[in-house]
Amino acid sequence: MTILTPSRILGFGLAGLLAASLGAAPAAWTSKHAARGVTCVQCHGKSGKPTAVPFRQCQGCHDPADLAARTAQAKPTNPHLNRHYGTQTDCTRCHHEHKASENLCLPCHTRFTFKVP
Amino acid sequence: MSDEPREEGQGPDAYTRRVLEQGLSRRSFLGRAAGGAAAVGLFGMGASPALAAAVKEPKAEGFATSTDGGATLTFLPKPKPIRDREISETLTFDVVVVGAGASGVPAALSAAEHGAKVAVVQKAPFALSQGNTGSGIDLAASEKAGVEALVARLIADSNHRCDPKLIRQWAYHSGEAVRWVIDRAKQGGATVVDQGSPAQRAILKVNGYSMGYVTSFFGPKPYTTGDGMRALAKTAEKAGVKFFFQMPAVQLVQGRSGEVQGVIARGHDGKYRKFLAKKGVILATGDYQNNRAMSDYFIPDVKYLERKQMDRTGDGFALAYWAGGVFEPIGHTKMLHDFDAGPASMCDMPFLAVDRKGRRFVNETVEMSLLNNYLKDAENAGHYSQVFDADYMTQAATWPGKLVPPEGLKNYMPDEPGPKKGVFESQVNTHKAGTLEELARKLEVDPATLVATVRRYNEVVASGKDSDFGKPASFLAPILKAPFYGIHRRVRVSAICSGMLVDEHHQALNADGKPIKGLFLVGNLGGGFYGGVDYPLTVFGLSLGRCYTFGYLTGRHVARL
Repeated sequence: MTILTPSRILGFGLAGLLAASLGAAPAAWTSKHAARGVTCVQCHGKSGKPTAVPFRQCQGCHDPADLAARTAQAKPTNPHLNRHYGTQTDCTRCHHEHKASENLCLPCHTRFTFKVP
Repeated sequence: MSDEPREEGQGPDAYTRRVLEQGLSRRSFLGRAAGGAAAVGLFGMGASPALAAAVKEPKAEGFATSTDGGATLTFLPKPKPIRDREISETLTFDVVVVGAGASGVPAALSAAEHGAKVAVVQKAPFALSQGNTGSGIDLAASEKAGVEALVARLIADSNHRCDPKLIRQWAYHSGEAVRWVIDRAKQGGATVVDQGSPAQRAILKVNGYSMGYVTSFFGPKPYTTGDGMRALAKTAEKAGVKFFFQMPAVQLVQGRSGEVQGVIARGHDGKYRKFLAKKGVILATGDYQNNRAMSDYFIPDVKYLERKQMDRTGDGFALAYWAGGVFEPIGHTKMLHDFDAGPASMCDMPFLAVDRKGRRFVNETVEMSLLNNYLKDAENAGHYSQVFDADYMTQAATWPGKLVPPEGLKNYMPDEPGPKKGVFESQVNTHKAGTLEELARKLEVDPATLVATVRRYNEVVASGKDSDFGKPASFLAPILKAPFYGIHRRVRVSAICSGMLVDEHHQALNADGKPIKGLFLVGNLGGGFYGGVDYPLTVFGLSLGRCYTFGYLTGRHVARL
């Protein structure tokens, strides 16, 4: 296997993920999950080819229905219970760990100005 | 009443011949590439079957560019064959429908009512559809000459590029199909009414012949046909249809001679399931507006225009293509509307219209549904505003459309407090202001430009002749008196309505014009029903009416095979 230097990890996302599969958190990345003790493999899997995190993986710890109930009073609308996906919006459509999160609603619903953690 | 006149003689009809010659299929592409036309002019050449048969498959993907040198065919990646040992479960049905929308749900229920064991696999967590109105012809209330006159009108609306036999099929079966949808959706608890002929005021006479209509309406907003299809799905479940949600289809199962035997779908758990279909697979996966490369290739007009839908990635197009299906030629038909920012009944009223900067850009008698053609650049991206003043109720009283008085306009104003009724609250975008400058800021146009535009427009109005754009004098009203009003509309892609070649049974045809056994395409994936630059608004609700009708007919047809 290629030896991973820090610069390579920064330069190549997938290479960084390879490092993740070895269990070593790439120091250059910030991660709220890592800060809470979640290791890379818990989300990205153990195989040699780490993958994007599937929605079902998030649901292992986060219950979408419970989340929707907790944001029921959000204004102007509850982002976790919507017309498009119900409670089943893939978390990673908005919430990112290794880059800035985004507001999936905003391009179409210009007044849904949620701050996405 | 006689049904679906057929062209006599040998071989395919004119529509089918054109798509076979100029459309895109796997074989036609290979043939043309081998002819040395790998890039520019690719689609101008026909492929001879003999040549194509001799061509070997290219080794690499991304092997062609569109005429602008941009998109490549990598948007049609060849599926990696899924091996049997990767399949966690195999289920057998008579009919497998892919996609639970306005065509897929009716197809599934119709098949079940005709005795078939039916599965629906759907990518989303529930049934989905958009819009409110779906229409058909009430044959008992229509003169035959009127039906044919409307068929002729719709063919002309499609710039004579559609398949007449499919238009006739809608014309002679839609009343029955739409009534059936209304009845079955009601059984599932839907809020739906038949608005009948009054909803189609402009076409009660066509060429002087009398017509009647069945006009299903799921609404008012925010209730839509999406809610309606979820209710219809409940009826379908009671009829024995099995729904599998969060289960995108990834591959067709094909036999040695290319016949389609089923579908492989990937579940929410990441596992593959094989759905075998003894009678046929009906793809009802919708359009491809969210597949950027596919859009750029087949309909570059919408490159900078916003999308209304999500996850319309053209999955069924790729599946049908790899099974030998044929795309309609480049230059697909688009549907771009904004009925939500302000009253729908005022969208075609010829008030002053300004672009995103604040400049006048068109003779405002051009309908809202066509304005996208003037606003398709990156800067405007479908945005424009209708502007009028305090006297609009009197000045525009005789114009086409229906005026909503100032009190009613508040329902469309985001700055007005209080709950809104019958609208999508997040999409209303109507404004009122004491000065033009303030209005400009609310409409997000340049204040100085808007003031200058209005000054010039008022000069034109005072002269009694629109020397700038030629609008009829009867539609010239000055903008002088506060409060000033504006409706900031943005037309976005509701749907792309061109598809892949089918016959009158909605069975996919291959590059030889021969039916692909076991494969049927309905809804916006099915080709032949349109052909013009834009979706026509002659019949309100034609799109959903067509989806219901072809789903209904195809489900029944496949169940009886």
